[in-house]
Amino acid sequence: MTDAATKRIGSFVHWREWDGEIIAYNDRTGDTHHFADLSAWLFRFLTRGAASDAMIAAAVANEIELPAAIDRDAVIARTLDIFTRLELLELREQATA
Amino acid sequence: MNTLALRFGPFAAHVETPFGAVIDGLHLLYPDDSFIDIGEFSDFHVELAPGKYARRWIRPQAHFRLDGESPFKPLPADQALPMFEWGLNYAIAAQAHQYLVVHAAAIERGGRVAIMPGAPGAGKSTLTAALVQRGWRLLSDELALIRPSDAHVVPLARPINLKNNSIALMRAYTPDAIFSAETHDTAKGTVALMRAPAESIARSREAAPIGWIIFPRWEQDAAARLAPWSKAAGLMEIAHNAMNYSLHGAAGFELLADIFATSGCYRFTYSRLDDAITVFSKLADSSLAGRAD
Repeated sequence: MTDAATKRIGSFVHWREWDGEIIAYNDRTGDTHHFADLSAWLFRFLTRGAASDAMIAAAVANEIELPAAIDRDAVIARTLDIFTRLELLELREQATA
Repeated sequence: MNTLALRFGPFAAHVETPFGAVIDGLHLLYPDDSFIDIGEFSDFHVELAPGKYARRWIRPQAHFRLDGESPFKPLPADQALPMFEWGLNYAIAAQAHQYLVVHAAAIERGGRVAIMPGAPGAGKSTLTAALVQRGWRLLSDELALIRPSDAHVVPLARPINLKNNSIALMRAYTPDAIFSAETHDTAKGTVALMRAPAESIARSREAAPIGWIIFPRWEQDAAARLAPWSKAAGLMEIAHNAMNYSLHGAAGFELLADIFATSGCYRFTYSRLDDAITVFSKLADSSLAGRAD
């Protein structure tokens, strides 16, 4: 058994989406954020339910076409790091087989 | 010492000052029925006072006091009238938290309000001054008061603050309008105040819903162009321009989000006022036509 962290957008985050862009208000920090492109897609994905990094990577690979020159895993990691630093995520340790 | 009480939009101010030019200026810029009994309730207690000792005579100064506090450094005494108007803006932004206060002009036509935030130099006040002389109602030149209960903009029809080249431009554009004397060498350059249209003041109790959020920008020789803009980016800009957004917290965000959900969001560039007015008229007319269908 290993532990895999899952994450989702916190229930304390208010947000709206227009034309594929997200505007989000973090009720814990009082900050408002604007996301577009992949970051907006990831934000929306993480509002639907908690996901591990592997699940996120798989979803992006299946649903988003990124230019070949872009390092997908690095972009995802960078975006999730931004979400973390903005304190938008709820993290959970989840037991997996 | 002169004492008066002034009503403007939903507020009243009790004013004390020895500066006769301020009293004369207020009577020029506000209609008679704005002056209420000094015993009535006032939201703000304002004093415009001269400097002490030698400052009464040598380069005399005016001190703005709000409820006994001095939020600003004194200015030269000849700037007392614009200082009063700037001070009222400060008072509203600092205290009127029953509203979401956005640093933006607000004008209405056909029952819908256009909110126009604008960075200094964007031409917001000039555009507003022109539009309210051509069929739009002035709700505010500087501070849009958004009522959280229904997302309507509450009128605050006060004098429009014009700067530098805009003064001569608007004098020529609206020869019948009433202007204060020009005040030179202020932090904003030369300024003059233009009296709000009588109809706008008469309808000071008629709040209205927002139909458009428009970010204007004056550009030399630019054709008038109204272009749809990202609502998410627009909301970020409005949040930055809201004086008390952080105080309203999540409710303030939800209020703005609801407004953007039902409003058009545009960027507007222009150089000629007549062209700008044509574009705005088409926008309002198309909205009216859409509702009639």
